Amino acid sequence: MDLLLNLTVNGLATGMLIFLLAAGLTLIFGLMSVLNFAHGGLFAWGAFSGVFFYGVTGSFLISVIGAVLTGIVLGFITEKLIIKPVYGNHVQQILITLGFMLVLSEMLKVVFGPNQIAAKTPDYLSGSWEAGGVILIKYRLFIILVGLLVFAVVQFILKRTKIGLIVRAGVLNKEMVQALGIDINKVFLYVFMAGAALAALAGALMAPYSGVVYAEMGLEFAILAFIVVVIGGMGSFPGSLLAAILVGLAGSYMAYFVPSLSLAVNMILMAVVLIFRPQGLFTAKEA
Amino acid sequence: MISKLQGKNFWLIVIAAVLAAFPLFSDSRTMTILLTQIFIFSILAMSYDILLGYTGIVSFGHAMFFGVGAYTTAVILDRMEPTLGMFLLSIAAGMLIAGIISFIAGLLTLRLKSHFYAMFTMALAGLFLVAAEKWRAVTNGNDGFTFRAPEFFQDRTMFYLTALGCLIVVYLLLSRFVASPMGRVLIAVRENEQRTASLGYKTLHYKVTASVVAGIFASLAGSLYSVSLRFVNTSVMTMDITLDALLMTIIGGVGTLIGPILGATVIEFAQHYLSGLARDYPIFERWIIFFGIVYILAVVFFPQGIVGWFRQVRAKRSGKRAAALKAKQPVLKAKAEENG
Repeated sequence: MDLLLNLTVNGLATGMLIFLLAAGLTLIFGLMSVLNFAHGGLFAWGAFSGVFFYGVTGSFLISVIGAVLTGIVLGFITEKLIIKPVYGNHVQQILITLGFMLVLSEMLKVVFGPNQIAAKTPDYLSGSWEAGGVILIKYRLFIILVGLLVFAVVQFILKRTKIGLIVRAGVLNKEMVQALGIDINKVFLYVFMAGAALAALAGALMAPYSGVVYAEMGLEFAILAFIVVVIGGMGSFPGSLLAAILVGLAGSYMAYFVPSLSLAVNMILMAVVLIFRPQGLFTAKEA
Repeated sequence: MISKLQGKNFWLIVIAAVLAAFPLFSDSRTMTILLTQIFIFSILAMSYDILLGYTGIVSFGHAMFFGVGAYTTAVILDRMEPTLGMFLLSIAAGMLIAGIISFIAGLLTLRLKSHFYAMFTMALAGLFLVAAEKWRAVTNGNDGFTFRAPEFFQDRTMFYLTALGCLIVVYLLLSRFVASPMGRVLIAVRENEQRTASLGYKTLHYKVTASVVAGIFASLAGSLYSVSLRFVNTSVMTMDITLDALLMTIIGGVGTLIGPILGATVIEFAQHYLSGLARDYPIFERWIIFFGIVYILAVVFFPQGIVGWFRQVRAKRSGKRAAALKAKQPVLKAKAEENG
């Protein structure tokens, strides 16, 4: 029981981190039909700058805020320099964002050095609670909490505010929104920046969770995020949460029970979804 | 026949002859190794271009096929006798496995939007990388293993010539392939898939075939690569290999077969000299950044690469000539009228 609970908490925490990454990816894809292969790079930058700010200020909160700001700035630069010139050309988009991913992760090595850096957990989040013989690691619960909070906030913005209405309308029919006199390019930019901020937030939270940050983590997690986006349905925000939890849990259980299959299980999930429901498990819309 | 030999083909034959004769008048070991490397990566880049340049499919998992070839050859030569026959058998086996994998990957994702193939191959390649790391009984994990190459290849020159021969054969085969009706349909798919489908072509079949052809030749490149090093480790499965193929194709020129060869040459030479420079200037250790930036600029400004740029210049020049001719014509006419 203890074990199962721990594995579940573990899987949920990983799932939440992947969700933060996948959320930005799926929104950007849904709205702009741009698949951002540089998303993992933004994630890694979030992780590194989080560790950096934590080392400088000693405050976890400031480090997370710093990482998110880094993500926003990088998102702005990415949209303006990389995505803008290739709107509407899918092959070029895929190619150029992957190239930018390369530049981002190499730049990390220039700025922070090529070696992996240890990341510390703040005192008030390290350690664990024991309740009725069950040990719960604080930081993991914290991640789950943050993930749910972010989901609630973004969902609120999407469903209850005007900008959310515009974004949702944009996902459904970009031309119509434009025809109504809304500057869709500005909406693109904001959504892209928000997505980058979410990726950076995921990175900043990931750093203390895994204990180290390294430049290749971007690509590793980007792959998981892609799997989640495919399973959850491209452009579906709640879908990506459910799929992320699914992938997180599957990874966590498999890593314990059948370690050799832990990555394969995600691939199998993805393959099955691609065969039977290419539009994603949790979307009604046709792909 | 003679007239056919002139122009492009003539120069290609000259270059191939010079390269074949190269070991006769130079015994530079570094150069032989570098050129061998270029031949091998040219094959990889050409196979990649069948997907990217001819069919318009982006794959981010090409390293997987390269790695399958590399490991198949390494394992077979290591476990069995390191003979030439085994070498050929291992190449065939690698091609077969790569073909099956690319067939399945293509069948799963190519009926969907282009993003899916890119994502799926990337994830699948990630899986293969992890498998190569974890399946230590066969691959010896990250450390890799050395093996003995066939006696025939003990001499570097023989291997150099073999690699060159493979490059020429693959070039000829792929030239035939892209010029065949099949290849024409692939180009049609790239230009407008819906229209091609509406003409009655089953585009999925064609796309899957392109994926299989690309996978098979990438595997051949991998087989040659592992024999050239007499060593294999997980680096053959990493994203770096895919990125190399991508950079070579884009910088050389997509949609041509010469382009990837040119790209491979440029990139390998640049890599060689830039990593030499890194000893003096540490910034060059991160030479990938320069490549990344050049690559991004190439995608935006020179999407046709070196070959495309060259063609454009030539077209402009002949265009100018035509324009000049046109400009002259009225003058001539006027003169004729004067005279008349």
